[in-house]
Order: sequence, then C-alpha cells, then structure tokens
Amino acid sequence: MSRFAQVWRTSTVRLTATFIAIFIVFAILLMAFIGWQSSIQIQRQQTDDIDREVRQFQRIEANQGIRALAFAVGRLSSNPGPGIYFLGDASGLYLLGNVTDVPAEVLIDPGIYTFDYERPDPLGAGPPGPDGPPKPRGGVAVVRSIELDNGMRLVVGRDVVERRGYSAIILQSFLVGVVGIILFSLIAGGITARRVLRRIDTIQQTSTKIMSGNLSERVPVTRRNDEFDALATNLNAMLDRIEKLLQGLKEVTDNVAHDLKTPLTRLRNQAEAALRDNATEDTRERALASVIGESDRLIQTFNALLMIARAEAGAPSGALTEIDVSSIVADVAELYGPVAEDDGIEIVSAIAEGVTLNANRELIGQAMVNLLENAIKYAKPEDGGPGKIAVELERANDWVRIVVADNGPGIPAADRERVLERFVRLEKAGLSLAPVLVWRSSTPWRACMAAVSNPGQRPRRASRAGASSQLARLARPPASALCLKNEHLSLAPAIYPSFFV
Amino acid sequence: MKILLIEDDREAASYLMQALDEAGHVTHHAADGESGYAMASGMDYDVLIIDRMLPRRDGLSIVESLRAEDDQTPVLILSALGEVDDRVTGLRAGGDDYLTKPYAFTELLARVEVLARRSSPSEAATNYSVGGLSLDRLSRKVERDGETILLQPREFRLLEYLMKNAGKVVTRTMLLENVWDYHFDPQTNVIDVHMSRLRSKIDKGHASPLLHTVRGAGYMIRD
Repeated sequence: MSRFAQVWRTSTVRLTATFIAIFIVFAILLMAFIGWQSSIQIQRQQTDDIDREVRQFQRIEANQGIRALAFAVGRLSSNPGPGIYFLGDASGLYLLGNVTDVPAEVLIDPGIYTFDYERPDPLGAGPPGPDGPPKPRGGVAVVRSIELDNGMRLVVGRDVVERRGYSAIILQSFLVGVVGIILFSLIAGGITARRVLRRIDTIQQTSTKIMSGNLSERVPVTRRNDEFDALATNLNAMLDRIEKLLQGLKEVTDNVAHDLKTPLTRLRNQAEAALRDNATEDTRERALASVIGESDRLIQTFNALLMIARAEAGAPSGALTEIDVSSIVADVAELYGPVAEDDGIEIVSAIAEGVTLNANRELIGQAMVNLLENAIKYAKPEDGGPGKIAVELERANDWVRIVVADNGPGIPAADRERVLERFVRLEKAGLSLAPVLVWRSSTPWRACMAAVSNPGQRPRRASRAGASSQLARLARPPASALCLKNEHLSLAPAIYPSFFV
Repeated sequence: MKILLIEDDREAASYLMQALDEAGHVTHHAADGESGYAMASGMDYDVLIIDRMLPRRDGLSIVESLRAEDDQTPVLILSALGEVDDRVTGLRAGGDDYLTKPYAFTELLARVEVLARRSSPSEAATNYSVGGLSLDRLSRKVERDGETILLQPREFRLLEYLMKNAGKVVTRTMLLENVWDYHFDPQTNVIDVHMSRLRSKIDKGHASPLLHTVRGAGYMIRD
C-alpha cells in the first residue's frame, strides 16, 4: 500500500493523470463533433431521399394520373423498409399508406415535420405477443407533406430510429475507446513511474549509505546513458571530490599533528630539563634559549598553516593588484644570489622585463623564495660538479611563465606523484624538487611558476596526463607549502625549460 | 622615552611594561580603547603601541582619530591578524609600523626605538655619517675615511637604512621589510649573507668595525 501510495505520489503518475484528463476532454470534444457532423449528414441524406421520392411521386401523378400514384404509394408502403407513406384525401382522411394516423398540422400546412408514428405490420400481423394483440410498430418519423393538384395530401418520410441507432454506435465506440485509453495510460504511467522511482531509489539508497558514513559508495551507472546516468555520473564525480577532500583533510591533520607535536615535545623536554634539580645556571639559560627557538619554529609552522588555509579558502581579492612580476622575480633572485654564491651555486637568470600581473605581491614573492630556497638546498649534482640554478621569466601567450630549475639529482621517480600532494615531506635528503605551479588569477593574465629539477633528464613535452608525474611541487614544509593550493595554483604540465641540457 | 601601551591582555601588558622599563623607557598602560584614546590625546608620548582589537574601541579607530586631530605621534600596531590585507589596512589607518603577534620582544623594542627616531627631524637629512663613514643620499656616494666605497644599489639601500637608524638595533625582519619590501621570514640566513658582504666592503681593513651584530636581535651601525 505504501508502495502504491509512493508510486501515486510520484510526479510521473501525476503527470500521466493530468495528460489523461486533458486527452479525455479533447477526445470527447472530437467525438461530439464527429457525431454531430455525421447526424447532420445523415439527416440531410434522409431529407434528400424524401425529396427525391416526393418528386418521383409528383412526376408519376403528372404523367400517369392519380391512380398510378396511388398504386406506387401502395407498393412502397408494403415494403418493410424505413419508408413512411401516407396518402389522404383533401380533408386529410386516410386513403393509402403504411401509417394511418398523421397529426393534423402536417396535413394542413405542407412542409417538413417530425412526429411519433405508429404503423401496422406491413405483412399483416406481426408475431403475436404473449398477451394481447400484436403491438403495432412505431417510432419517430421525419416527413415532408405536400398538397397534390387535386387537393389530396401526400406525406413521404423516413423512420429516424435508424439514425438514432447510428449515433448510439458512435457513442458506444467512443466510450470503449476512452476507457481503453484511460486503462492504457494508467498502466503506462504506472510502469514509467515505477521505473523512475526505482532509479531514484537506488540513488537515494546510495546517498543514505553515504550519509551513514560509507563514503566509498557510488551511484550505479547503467549503460542507457540517459539523464539519470548523467546525474549519477555527476554525483559520483562529486563524491570522488568529497572523498579526496576528506582524505586530504585527514592527511593534513596528520601532518599538522606531526609538525606541531614534534616541536611541542621538544619544547616540553627542554623546559623539563631546565627545571631539573642539578641543572646549572648555564644549562638553564641554554634550555630557555632553545625553548624560544622552538616556539618561534612553532609560530612559523602555524603561520604557514594559516596562510594555506587562507589561500585555499579563496584568493584574497582585495590584495590583488597590478604588480610588476619581473621586478619581484629579479628581486628574489638578487636576494638569494649571495646565499647561493656562498654555497658555490650559480644563479643564471633570464627574466623578461616589464611583465605585469594582477596578483598578490607577497604571495608571489613568498612562492619565489620557497622555490629558490629549495633549489639552493638541492642544486648539488651527483657527479660533484658545480650547482646551477636557472631563474626564468617569460610571457607566453596569455601566460606568465616563471621557472626555477636546478641541476640537482631531482625527485626520485617514485616520489614524483606523491610530492604533488599537500604537505608532503620527502624524508631522503638530497632531492631536488620540481614544482610547476600555476597562479590562477581573475584577470586574463595568469602566471605559471615552474621549477624543474634534474634538467639533465630533460622532461619530454609530455601529454597532460603524463606530464604531472614529471613535476612536483615544493615539499619542504611548512614555508614552501604556501603556494601549493589546488584552488589557486594548479599544475601546468606543458611548460619545461631546457636549461643545462 | 615615554611610551603608551594600549593592550587589553593584562599579562602581555605587564610583561611588556616590565621589559620596556628594563630597556629604560617609561611606559603607561591603558586596558581598553576609550581610556587609551583619552590618554593618548591628553598626554604627550614618544611612541604609542596599540593593540588592534580592544574592548570598547577599536585600535584602528584610535589611530584614525589621532591622525584626524593632527597628532603625528608614531604608532606601532600590534595584531594577531597578519595577512597582507590586514597590514595594509593597519598602515592606511595611520599606523607607522605593524607587528604581528606573537613577536619577539627584541623585535618590538627595535621597532619602537626606530619609530621614536623617525619623528625626529633627522628624517629629512640628505647626509648620514657614522664614525668615518658617510653616505650622501643625493649623489649616492659612500666614503669611509675619505676613501670611496662602491656599493650595489641594494647594498646602498641597506646601508642607508642602517645609517638612518644609527645607534639603534635593526632586526632582520625590519631589513627585509624596509629594504626589500617583503613581510615574511625567510627560512635561511639570507639577510646575514647580505650583511656580511656589506660588512666586508665597509669594515675590511679598518681597525674599528662600524657594523655590529647584536646577538639575538639583529644589526646596528655605530662608532
């Protein structure tokens, strides 16, 4: 019952019912029109017949005289057909015909009339009734009455009961049709509703399971490729994204816990050590100094986390201004030049001048700093040769491309996918990181920031899908995590420098 | 130096007052925006340290009102809001410097002392000299004991900033902010490397160094 009620409540059934109602109204109108038209047609045919007969009688009377007419009327009257005939004298008294009684007004004024009639059986007596004399036949007649030249009255007509029977047939078939249509529509509507309901039910069941916590559930997609499948595909894509986000959140939480707990533990240990009874003044002072150091590191981590959260929440539109990217990149390269030089690393820059961008100066600066700090850390070729870093900026169509490349060993192939995830820390030392980051801004200008490690192994101009494995994003937490927001920065595979090749 | 501290966190305030006192400054304290504004406009201070979020009256509105009354006392804004936008609004409201919580006291002290100097007339000087070192801002010439020293443009700006604040401690963050215009902490010793280059150009071959490293705080140029 509840299932029936459910089906009944579906929009499909309601829609079907509405359509049935509309259909019936139109069918009735159509049938009525057809019935009306055909009854008019039949009536016209009957009057035509009557008129033709009347003319025939007139011709017979004119050509052959009254006796021939009386003979013709008598012959036709004895036929069992629908014809109605009456011949009376000038006073209207019955002489001949298959009806004996005709209303007076029909005889007084010639014209067309409809009246109830009775007539005896033309072949004598009808079958005797169970009780009493045989009932005379009767009905409704349409007649034309005329006055002959000698004053006699002739009435010629047709029984209309036949015509009525015809209308009844039309009405009957109409009713059968309508009932059939209603039944058929109800069945079709019900089936459609059930089918739709079943599809919706599967989606509903899946979402219920998901709501109860099983995020790996997916809405089944059929091969029909209809609108429900499109919906299911979209829902599944949404679920994938949600699942990934949740997974990311979990990873972030884990990493944050790691990044914060480790220094907190050290902090606590040092404070404890300072409080120990045998601690000297000197050790206490050192412990306190390192407590400050640890808290500073904590603050840095925390700031980086905040920045990431901010950036992931959306670009701070207020901070976007037209800035000279060329000068930022050049500034940062210059800022780190001496540091690199002290490490025996040469920075080669090729920076196009006057490239502007609607962006946040601090964020681009910070991103550049992160990239360069990583490059300096890892620009140490395996063959022991001198380290080199290339800083490149150019305008390519509607992109601004910023590349920071080093000639270190690069990220191990196994880590290249992983390093694109958020907050990844590569444990092994001596890795070059190869981030390719795209700055997405609201203006036609976008920037792409790239750092490709291990230029000796020249990255192919790979397809989009294959390319991301060539790339990695900065993975030195916390500071370098800054610019690695999925929302603002995405991977731009197509762009590689060919430095040091 | 006379300092007014408007800060609602009593613990932070008493710590700051004690530390400023040890550094030789007289510090008054106001615990909310209204009384802070009354004190700031009623008395003459060298520097105002104003927390951004205060009970009864917002820190930025105090600064705006003071500036509207043509009170040009240097203001250091303290805030837990550290984004670029927040800094920009803080400085636009009339603040002279912006420090994000949490901060090291040495950083705050260095900034307060530099701020107090800023209000003195030496701001407009075209010429700085410390010991035998002189810097001409117009001709962009640097000499030590009559000998011309050639500096890169950035080194010149670095030295210019140090000499403008001669005798005061300048932190690494302050250098990064004022010379490079970046407001974040680099992870590496990037400022130290620049300073050691500058030092080698200025102090090499001279018996008495002018550029000093202040441990745990930053740098200072003095006789």
